[in-house]
Amino acid sequence: MTVDAQTQERQLDLLEAYGPTGGTYDELVGPDRRPRPHWTTFLHGLRRLTSRDRLARASRLDRQVRETGLVHDVFADPETPQQQWRLNLMPLILSADEWSWLERAVGQRARLFNAILADIYGPQRLLRRGKIPPALVFGDGSYLRACQGIQPVQGHLQFYAADLARSADGNWRVIDNHAETPAGVGYAVANRVMHADVTDDLFSECRTRRISNHFSGLQAALAERAGRGDPTVALLTPGPAHGDYFSHAYLARYLDLALVEGGDLRVVGDEVFLKTLEGLKKIDLLVRCIEGRKADPLELDPSSFLGPSGLVHASRRSPGMMINAIGSAVIENRGLGAYLPSLCEELLGETLLLRDAPRWWLGDETARQHVEARLDEYVIRPASEGTGRPGQAVRGRVAGVLSGDERTQLISDLQRHGETLVAEQRAGFGTMPSLTSQGLQRKAFGLRLFAAASSDGFSVMPGGLAMGVDAETAVALSTSDGETHDVWVMATEPERPHASLWRPRVESALVQRSQRTLQSRVADNLFWLGRYLERADWTMRVIRSSLGRRLEYLESAPTRHAGDVCLEMLISKGAALSIPVGSRRVSGRSATLAGQLASERESTYSLINSFDGIYRVASLTRDRLSLETWRTLASFRVDETWRRRMAEASVSELQDEIEDKLSLVATFSGHLAENMTRNFGWFFLDMGRRLERAYNLCDVLQLLFHAGQSDDESNEHLNFILRLADSYITYRSRYRLQPMLPLVLDLLVMDETNPRSVAYQVAGLMRHLEALPQQTGSNALTRERRIVLALQTAIRLADVNELATVGPEKIRPALSLLLRQALKDLPDLSDAISRRYFRLVDDEPHRVVLRHEA
Amino acid sequence: MIYEVSHRTSYRYESTVTQSQHLIHLAPRPAARQTVQRHMLMIEPTPTWRHDFRDYFGNPISVLGIDNEHRELVMRAHSTIEVARRGPIDVTAGKAWDEAGHRQAARNHDIDLDVAQYALPSPATATGAAVLDYSRPSARPGRPILAVAWDLTCRIYDDFEFDSHATDVSTPAVDVLRKRRGVCQDFAHLALACLRAHRISARYVSGYILTRPPPGMPRLQGADASHAWFSVWAPETGWVDFDPTNRLMPNDEHIAFAYGREYGDISPISGVLLGGGRHHVDVAVDVVPITGDSRPAD
Repeated sequence: MTVDAQTQERQLDLLEAYGPTGGTYDELVGPDRRPRPHWTTFLHGLRRLTSRDRLARASRLDRQVRETGLVHDVFADPETPQQQWRLNLMPLILSADEWSWLERAVGQRARLFNAILADIYGPQRLLRRGKIPPALVFGDGSYLRACQGIQPVQGHLQFYAADLARSADGNWRVIDNHAETPAGVGYAVANRVMHADVTDDLFSECRTRRISNHFSGLQAALAERAGRGDPTVALLTPGPAHGDYFSHAYLARYLDLALVEGGDLRVVGDEVFLKTLEGLKKIDLLVRCIEGRKADPLELDPSSFLGPSGLVHASRRSPGMMINAIGSAVIENRGLGAYLPSLCEELLGETLLLRDAPRWWLGDETARQHVEARLDEYVIRPASEGTGRPGQAVRGRVAGVLSGDERTQLISDLQRHGETLVAEQRAGFGTMPSLTSQGLQRKAFGLRLFAAASSDGFSVMPGGLAMGVDAETAVALSTSDGETHDVWVMATEPERPHASLWRPRVESALVQRSQRTLQSRVADNLFWLGRYLERADWTMRVIRSSLGRRLEYLESAPTRHAGDVCLEMLISKGAALSIPVGSRRVSGRSATLAGQLASERESTYSLINSFDGIYRVASLTRDRLSLETWRTLASFRVDETWRRRMAEASVSELQDEIEDKLSLVATFSGHLAENMTRNFGWFFLDMGRRLERAYNLCDVLQLLFHAGQSDDESNEHLNFILRLADSYITYRSRYRLQPMLPLVLDLLVMDETNPRSVAYQVAGLMRHLEALPQQTGSNALTRERRIVLALQTAIRLADVNELATVGPEKIRPALSLLLRQALKDLPDLSDAISRRYFRLVDDEPHRVVLRHEA
Repeated sequence: MIYEVSHRTSYRYESTVTQSQHLIHLAPRPAARQTVQRHMLMIEPTPTWRHDFRDYFGNPISVLGIDNEHRELVMRAHSTIEVARRGPIDVTAGKAWDEAGHRQAARNHDIDLDVAQYALPSPATATGAAVLDYSRPSARPGRPILAVAWDLTCRIYDDFEFDSHATDVSTPAVDVLRKRRGVCQDFAHLALACLRAHRISARYVSGYILTRPPPGMPRLQGADASHAWFSVWAPETGWVDFDPTNRLMPNDEHIAFAYGREYGDISPISGVLLGGGRHHVDVAVDVVPITGDSRPAD
């Protein structure tokens, strides 16, 4: 077979399953079933790959998606199956000509919506003259009366996104508008980063336009809007429980914005402040990723605390600060589409390029009667719907398939509040190729494009988010399989680098090496990340040390195994659990205990709880972690299967798993240590770790040595603790002697040069506390520094021989006293740190009201 | 009639409040038969910032923040308002509520948005099936708009019991209908829900009412209360007030302070606090006529 014949065969394979178009517009092939010209370079590249190569790339892409953390919602129950985010290897390719039209058309809509918003929140001429039915606006919960009169000179919209579908005639039409938030642009950026990584060679060959220029333009626009070069820009997210949190965190990272929640902010008069470790810091611009109507408990939805109280008033006084302006979502109303062509003529003096899918607003009496008479032809949907995750649009009620009762309800809804509903015809979607194990397959898709205001009008990101849709039921971006595609826009000429206003400022900022401000909430999470990491590490060391010595004990076990004692103690933390008596064979008992410590959810120190803790708090601080660290994070997510496997694992299975997870913790900690700048954030992470390590070591020392033992027992315990504290080698190289208690105590408690000793941890805590902002006016020591100083002094003043001495009651009084102090001081220290740095005296906000009584 | 209205509200908090922000509707608005002669709002502790302006509905509003720690907050509002008597109103005259055209302006005329915005349900006046059912006997086909409103006023007065413990500030009309009890705010909401179910423009009015001590008894200080009723728009007359709590059409003994779609738009004092724990609130309202027959001896 010749090379040409091989190529020919692969091409057949690739397109074999790509069936006939069935009357819809297909992106890949024309009516003659030949690929369209702008796909040829990509198809050529794809044909060069064997089917095995293609699948290998597809699975690399799957792994990237998984590791990037796109799959999981942080707080979703790990046991319930979730909709997976999937990214197909096939991009959607748009030709340069098509793009230049789309760019103009989407930009025009953004300008039009800005003009409409300026009227709705201003003079309302359009409403008064019936160009927009007043009830359409007044009946929409996204129209926020409190925001009337707030007119940013830069316009209401900084971000605008449109969902598009391709009709059979090849024309695009808009199926939804997004004006509330940046609308999932973070997903599109993440898709591009992952997809470009896997399709690297193809991407360049196709001369695909890069999206980075769009974002540097956006950064420049933000700097200009703030009126200064190094503005403090924060992105306000509803928090990790929100389905779009990934997108918010990713965007914040990509644009270098502070990711904040409502509780991190405080409004004083006209200004918005961020609560940081150093006190309140003024914010120049706030990118809003929370719903407008939930942005302020004082003037808007009183039950929502997603935004800080007083936010509406602050934007009333400085309208340019809020992006997008609060209330902007009113133009998402689906009923507006029919009025846009005439509004475009009126407001812009232009013909509307990109029309909406045909829809009838049911607040209009004539339209309502028309629709009621032909109900089966329509899908009825809310006119206004919150901005959800891409692909999660509400499906609407299809009159044709409703039961009698549902149909009656629907008609009653139409009559009672038609203003809030629209009727749509299912006009169908265009199709595009998706790569499957059977080659390319055709599927219906929708496309989301993202625009952002720049200094010279709106710029449309040359890319986007394409997703598979359920063509039969969908009239919006609703998807059941969650499969997405990157969107490639062909370049006509080599791209010039964007001349950013931002860059020079960034360089000067680097020279200053100024500490980025740290939100109190983030400091809290990092502190606990440090604690959970250390706790997981410690628990695994205890398990490893207990199991590792089993062979030496098979013959005779005269005393209770030190490892078992430690395992029992850790298991019992946090709950009154029954410790299994287990087999008399020591190895069997250790394995049972170890399995229990790995898997017992009731126990505070169990591995599964520590892993959950790591995953949760690290996810909360994702915007502070490097991308590599972020990828490692996914491996901490353990599920019920893992838990059951651990509970019943044999010794060798346990050992293997522990080794794996120990190296995972080491890798994760390594990434943190390598990639985090040594700023306040690092201090808190490290303090959490030191505090936990000091506590755990003291705890075990107290358990094993507070009472005097026989020589055998003592010997075994000393060996055990040296291994556990990773100091065996140090001890042997220093003393070349059998372990002796005073020397071991010196190494593990008093030696400030041993990174595993209690004294070393305490010294580290002291150093960090001294470097942190003190927030007190006086020179008096803070409570937390007092605690550390007292503990450090007690350790330094202790005498190892006295510590090792057994008193008349068969205990070691000096050792016991010192360790008891440490075991009390360290938790006190943790509380004191929380109180000073994490809470900033704030309670939860709450509302008071007074009613009309008489 | 000229009135002096004073409204004193004091909050005592269980623990320290570190920040508080408030929206205040305690200033009277000028209205057709009503002139505001004087208004003063005093707040202790002194707010860190305060801005007075007109809200969306044209009512005077104060927004303020107190960024100093405090355990007690006192707001004193004093207003002097002159209210003129109205002429007689024939509720049986005028266009029928279901006659097309009164809701929308003719094509060549501007739509009166102030009327249009009050025709739609709001959160507390949402239309449920029960609301629609309750409204039907009043909204009979062909009945004039004001007659519908008066019929509702009478029926609510007859069917519902005044009970200040049955509901709270956030009780929507549908729940009031189920409980058959409530306070002025609830009765106004129910009437509004019924009217708006048929897209009749109607608004919520908050204010005060002159109370008369029983014959021979002195006026009790601070014993009055804020009041609420509703107002309906008819093309011939404009806005006309109805008070379902007292089964009457307000005249010069009702003093309007603010209009809105519902209570939530114009609550007298609302706020968001950080800290404070539980709080205790005292309200003292005095409505004192200073001219006319009922002028008290000094």
